[in-house]
Amino acid sequence: MAASTSRPLEYLEGLPGMTFNKLYQQPSTALAIFRRMLPDLAKCFVMALLYLKDPLPTQDLELWVKAESKKQRDNALSILGRLHILSKTLTSENVSAYMVTNPFADSLRKALTGSEDSQSFGVFSQHRNEHRKSISDLDEYARRQWEGVLGYMVGTEYLKDSGHPEVSLSKGVKQLLQAGHLVEIYERRTEITKDGFAFVLQDVNTQVWHILILYVESAEAIGMDSVEVLSFLFLLSSLELGQSYEKKYLSPVQLRTLADLADFGIIYQRSPDAPRFYPTRLATTLTSDSSALSGTVGSSLNGPAGPQGASGTGSGFIVIETNYRLYAYTSSPLQISLISLFTTLKYRFPNLITGKITRQSVRRAIDMGITADQIISYLHTHAHPQLRKHNAGHSTSNTAGIPPSILPPTVTDQIRLWQLERDRLRATSGFLFKEFTSLQEYQAPCQYAAEIGVLVWKSDRKRMFFVTRHEQVAAFLRSKKEMR
Amino acid sequence: MNSVDASEHYELNATELAPSLLTIVLDTNPHAWASLESSLPLTKAVANLLVFINAHLACNYANEVAVVASHTTKATWLYPVHDDDVSQQQPADADGDVAMNGENGTGSQSNKYRPFRMVEERVTQRLKQLLDSTNSDDLRGNTSTMLAGALTLALSNINRRTIAWAEKHGGADLEDAAGDGGTGGGNAGGTGPGRYSASNDEERLQSRILIVSVSGSSDSAHQYIPVMNSIFACQRLHIPIDVCKLSGDAVFLQQACDATKGVYMALSEPRGLLQYLMMAFLPDQRSRKHLVLPTRVDVDFRAACFCHRRVVDIGYVCSICLSIFCEPPPDNECLTCGTPLDVGDFGSKPALIPRKKKKKKRVNGTSTVGTPMSTGTPPPG
Repeated sequence: MAASTSRPLEYLEGLPGMTFNKLYQQPSTALAIFRRMLPDLAKCFVMALLYLKDPLPTQDLELWVKAESKKQRDNALSILGRLHILSKTLTSENVSAYMVTNPFADSLRKALTGSEDSQSFGVFSQHRNEHRKSISDLDEYARRQWEGVLGYMVGTEYLKDSGHPEVSLSKGVKQLLQAGHLVEIYERRTEITKDGFAFVLQDVNTQVWHILILYVESAEAIGMDSVEVLSFLFLLSSLELGQSYEKKYLSPVQLRTLADLADFGIIYQRSPDAPRFYPTRLATTLTSDSSALSGTVGSSLNGPAGPQGASGTGSGFIVIETNYRLYAYTSSPLQISLISLFTTLKYRFPNLITGKITRQSVRRAIDMGITADQIISYLHTHAHPQLRKHNAGHSTSNTAGIPPSILPPTVTDQIRLWQLERDRLRATSGFLFKEFTSLQEYQAPCQYAAEIGVLVWKSDRKRMFFVTRHEQVAAFLRSKKEMR
Repeated sequence: MNSVDASEHYELNATELAPSLLTIVLDTNPHAWASLESSLPLTKAVANLLVFINAHLACNYANEVAVVASHTTKATWLYPVHDDDVSQQQPADADGDVAMNGENGTGSQSNKYRPFRMVEERVTQRLKQLLDSTNSDDLRGNTSTMLAGALTLALSNINRRTIAWAEKHGGADLEDAAGDGGTGGGNAGGTGPGRYSASNDEERLQSRILIVSVSGSSDSAHQYIPVMNSIFACQRLHIPIDVCKLSGDAVFLQQACDATKGVYMALSEPRGLLQYLMMAFLPDQRSRKHLVLPTRVDVDFRAACFCHRRVVDIGYVCSICLSIFCEPPPDNECLTCGTPLDVGDFGSKPALIPRKKKKKKRVNGTSTVGTPMSTGTPPPG
């Protein structure tokens, strides 16, 4: 899940402060960001401060959190700061204090109480028509469209011979995939890139976010206001599955976005100029934790949602044993081709394929740019319920401290070791702090960096340390200097 | 390379966050609310509570909520509503789908996140029904609240949701829960620390109960036994009971918080209810690990006797079933288990002389144990 939250978070962090101001005007956006981007502790802070009249003194907040959880506290505060949600001010007694910044606080309060006439959560279509789409229809539509996109990336010839109805992808989709360097086109032939491999192995929620952020990034280029697009996406995420919504309240930019999103199966509309649209599960689960929903989305996307998608039962279909054998109850060409990326396939039956994860197959995958973590997380997301049940029960009985893992530990460790055989160097971009005059002067910021989780490397002897982001450490050093 | 060895297993980072289920037990005792009228009328309290519920739902997409009203004559569900048409009024299930009902007008619907509105409508509507159905006969001579019934409803709902959630997500609880359910309660005590604690706490639905209490304790002493039973059930299932006390002071609820590691707060200023709720009661179990919680140090551990439901400091305890009595039971027979009890020489000093005897005996005992090697054990009798 860490991967799934980080991408939208990273994108948002990169936005200038003014953009946040505009974004937070909408209650739906404030709610979505609150729900999706913040760690638990940060949510507690925001809620505690939301209805406080005066800012909360910094010391009080520090007292509230247990001493041994300092790291989580600083991490939460740092994220809140980066998203411009919490700001430091002074109370009337000139003590430094925290408060929730205004457009955000206002909007979140509005979202909670529903007080103002903002129409931030979409307008239902009142039209009672006989063409209502059922939820399973929408799931099926979303599944088909999304598999179509993935199938296009992996290579469509797999899909043709399986009797799937050909999903026609619009030019916009293809361009977007190309712009995101997920595929490259050589002489009219589509080739998937390393990023593309990484992409297809992620869970659906992460994939959707990836695509949407690409979309927002490219929106600017074709003359759309990225803030408006972004807040529309958050609006979509707060709509309800199985309901249709009126289009006539939407702005032109939003209408255009809507048309593009229909290609991905994120929303459904009967025809481009239908007066109503339906959000699909891909849209309504955007602000959920991917883990909480991976089951339902996964099953709707991989499971036998429709007659032709007979590719598995329940949420997962992969069984993996400690002897590296892999059994996948699927007939979906897409899933088979994904599994074959890192497995040596042995047999294929109508509803089952078997194979073995070997050193060669994993190294081949790694050569293509797939990481061990991606393989493991793919196996994890699609693990068969039986595997989940068995291993969860098994590992709790003997090891109390270690959280139960679904996959056999020998397999996951070995996959990582195979990757480590190749990866001896890893580059991290960041900032080096050096030339501290005294050991004390070095230790304090170094410790601070470790607490806020940006420290990558340090050397006490050379008095140097390396961090991934420098703003807060610099601010810390500055405040130190002032104190002196 | 050396950073990976066999001892350090790679785990998918433990961020598989289970959603939490918040069950609110709202004390709707009209007597108590009438006395609060000047500072915090019921309508205002409910409005505050609804914002709090929304805040809870906002925290996580899959978070769930349930509200039980503990009235003077009965305990009843405010949300989710079960008795109506089931297909229409199902509670929000684990993936957050709320069953639809098409009765709403266009009015305010677009200004409010839909799940929030659903809960609000249901709760206010059901509360109104409940208050409308209350007549003065019910209230005369009955000033307490059905706390035990409300807690039991809450617990059964939590149990149902936990099993449903575990089934859906394929946790280990499923097997345990099913096994236990099949064999009935007979061996439940013998299976160790309880079927839920057997699996990882982080992985199951995080449930907690919040009691918004206004009634005094002396009224509810007659419910001592069922309330304590629910508290022990919560303790076993690791469900914290939080208590937000608006007026009066409830003895048993302090014990409930203490036993289940919940938050106990007696509000000195009921008007600030929302802020208290947001600050102290909103954090779920995961966040609570990191926070310093307001708990009570001086817990009132008094119990109510089983014979007259009086709250007692010192009482008589049956040595067999641990029932508590405020005076020796009639016929010297335990009222609960029927064991004949001997309380005749209570207050005399039975301790000194027997202890001396014991010592002597023990000396004799050791000598007999030490010697028999040569002679062999003499046959008894």
